[in-house]
Amino acid sequence: MEEKISQIQKNYLQRIAQAKTLKQLDEIFLALFGKKGELTLLPKEFGKLSEEEKRKISPLFNEIKLELETEISEARKKIREESYKKLKGEKFDLSGVEIKKRTGHLHPLTQIEQQTAEIFQKIGFSQFEAPHIDSDYNNFEVLNIPQNHPARDLWDTLYIIPGKLLLRTHTSNSQIRILKQNKPPIRLMNIGRCFRYENLDARHEHTFEQFELVYVDKNVSMANLQYLSEYFLKAIFGQEIKVRLKPKYYPFVEPGVGVDGLCIFCKGQGCQICGGVGWLELAGAGMIHPSVLKRGGIDPQVYSGIAWGFGPPRMAMLKFGIEDIRLFNSGILSFLQK
Amino acid sequence: MKVSIDWLKELVNLNISVTELIALLPLRSVSIKEFNEDFFELDMKGYNRADLLSMRGVAREVAAITNSKLNFNDEKIDFPDLPKVEVIVEDTDLSPVYCVAKIENLKVEQSNDTWVKKLSDCGIRSINNVADITNLIMLEYGQPMHAFDAQKVSGRVSVRVAKAGEKIVTLDGKTRNLNQEDLLIADENGPIGIAGVMGGKDSEVTESTTSVLLEAAIFDPVSIRKTAQRHGLPSEASKRFQHGLTKTNLLQALAAAIKMYEDLGGKLTAITLIGNLKQGTKNLKLTQKKTNSLIGVNIPPDQVKSSLKKLGFTLQNETVTVPYWRLDINIEEDVIEEVARMYGYENIPSKPLPNFKTKLFQVPLIYNLKKTLADLGLTEVQTYSFYSTQVTKNLELTTEDLIKIANPISSETEFMRDELWPNLLEAVAKNIKNGFKDVAIFEIGKVYSPPDKETYHLAIALMNGSDNPILELNQIFQNLGLHPKGGKLENRQYFHPTRFTDHMAEVHPRVVNKFGIEQRIAALEVEIEK
Repeated sequence: MEEKISQIQKNYLQRIAQAKTLKQLDEIFLALFGKKGELTLLPKEFGKLSEEEKRKISPLFNEIKLELETEISEARKKIREESYKKLKGEKFDLSGVEIKKRTGHLHPLTQIEQQTAEIFQKIGFSQFEAPHIDSDYNNFEVLNIPQNHPARDLWDTLYIIPGKLLLRTHTSNSQIRILKQNKPPIRLMNIGRCFRYENLDARHEHTFEQFELVYVDKNVSMANLQYLSEYFLKAIFGQEIKVRLKPKYYPFVEPGVGVDGLCIFCKGQGCQICGGVGWLELAGAGMIHPSVLKRGGIDPQVYSGIAWGFGPPRMAMLKFGIEDIRLFNSGILSFLQK
Repeated sequence: MKVSIDWLKELVNLNISVTELIALLPLRSVSIKEFNEDFFELDMKGYNRADLLSMRGVAREVAAITNSKLNFNDEKIDFPDLPKVEVIVEDTDLSPVYCVAKIENLKVEQSNDTWVKKLSDCGIRSINNVADITNLIMLEYGQPMHAFDAQKVSGRVSVRVAKAGEKIVTLDGKTRNLNQEDLLIADENGPIGIAGVMGGKDSEVTESTTSVLLEAAIFDPVSIRKTAQRHGLPSEASKRFQHGLTKTNLLQALAAAIKMYEDLGGKLTAITLIGNLKQGTKNLKLTQKKTNSLIGVNIPPDQVKSSLKKLGFTLQNETVTVPYWRLDINIEEDVIEEVARMYGYENIPSKPLPNFKTKLFQVPLIYNLKKTLADLGLTEVQTYSFYSTQVTKNLELTTEDLIKIANPISSETEFMRDELWPNLLEAVAKNIKNGFKDVAIFEIGKVYSPPDKETYHLAIALMNGSDNPILELNQIFQNLGLHPKGGKLENRQYFHPTRFTDHMAEVHPRVVNKFGIEQRIAALEVEIEK
């Protein structure tokens, strides 16, 4: 057996050394490691060996196997490097060619986000930019979420400098900037990437999009919030959708609001997607907390405001019937070109 | 909070069905995570309603929103004159209230079926009658309790922070190295429990226990949270300490616990109450004008008053007195939310926004660029803001130049991208392996560089089956009419030795091959302004 193995080693090392093309190396690889390759079949003969022989042969076999593998991959590199040398001879000119005819596609999130921006632009909202990398202060503390507060449990955070610099967990990091940089009346919106410490599955992403608007004026009320919710969800899902508000806790709004839409799949009958309740929670909102307004330099005795937001990925999943949130960042063309 | 339905029915005379209640709670109070015939679970994650972490709190809420009658009242508490358990509280900031009752003459047995069912409905396993009382009281009142085996506690009990190098074996059998910020309960031999988090193994109630030291305390919420996180010990008790406790409720709970032990044949022989036990009252201003203008509905003053009364508030003129159990109510807007909840958010009418003239809007540059690219036949992709390990390995990236995540979920989210084309190359390879013979993709997104810089980039990757794809890429680029300033492809080793410009290059086959593909690929990268 020992001899057989060293015979294979000798034989193939020679063949590898002589190979001139990647194709030849592929053939050699198959002859060794393919389904009927010599090294694939050999261990089947080990059964006949005595225990003592096995103890000797096994390490030897593994050693040779590794050697041949390494040799093939080194030989591949060598042949490749040879071919790379020829690249210098390839000409570079930018003479005109036709652009191939292809059907282009916008990402589903781009479609939903653009549609959203246009819907709110019609009633006076302009876009506002806020950074992805932000301070703990802007993302949490200014929004009534101090360090070591139980409310922190709502946001599992990716930090660059723990306790100081982080990847924003929500577009609400735009709130303090919007309030500080503008005078009421304010109608601004922010769309973009947010990040959470989240293990991936069909319903959870660590990198996802959010939309959020800030509306500040005199006499802004929850009745306006009902209007905004209806106005948006009707534009997305059609006039027949019903919208209802319910209490929901976010530390930076008071009162806090959850926005339910009548389940678009079962029309309120109760189905698997809405968990049998007939309603889907589609957005989160509330009346901006007076202490947030104050920190933004706005007098809560004179003005009130609405913060209103939703997750474009979830909205796109519902609207386009997408079942796995991970597809959005996957780059998989069979999904993106559907 | 898992709410036992049988238990709830003991505490409140429900005048609607449980099914109706389960439909109503999300509209008035809080979402329901899960329910069956035995329990419903309130979605309390991060929520500030400390009172809803108890059966009595839930019963009060349910009574208010359903107009049902409560079957309990707060009792007047009077403890008998007895000797004191010897206790010293060294840190009164971290432990403002600390009470211990000594109960003797106990016999440890299995709990009765009613107790076992109540506990299991609420998601807690029955241990034995003596330990179960502490959990039943915690569930009913929201006040955590701990029972130490009195015979295993030597000398004076002290409440103090840990000393350097101190250790304790907790109830779960694990040895915990204590931090000098951890608040402890100790006897003269050392720690017997981590305050508010977990008791010690050495002082655990066992079959042979005949007397206990029953602890009811209020600890500093932040300290408890830090300690629970430091030791990875989230518990039902520590959750309640973090959300906040009240003195009135503590005394109610302690008296009820003692009564339960007495019903088992136990005898209260000593009691110590340390700290200011007087519950303060909170008064807030509430005006009809603010209420109506924030909700957007004219709710009659009588209705406001009766709504608040059902929830335990009193309203006199423009002053609201907050019930002691509502630690979450601190400003006028908090009270207005109560009024709105009782009115029913779903009954608030829709009111359009007034007309608004703005000059801002701004042209959606990025969207227009995306549209042009899609019209040219390219497909938009979005990739992670991170470099995968495949990218960092194949490009042999020097990660010191990248923003590093301090607590990555895995090595796939450790480094943030500073260019887009590597992620597109990875996407091209993935699609080629999936059988695509032609891949023309682009991404517009942010790239990041230390310490916290973010810029928008556009990148394109093209594999058109030819051995010189940069020709077609150049045509696409020309069609965009961009005059880019930044985002040059500078790392020459990644690119073809002759086929490159400032913003376009054929990716070197050496790099491409590492992704397991053989095709020629051209890439473009430019910085764009938003």
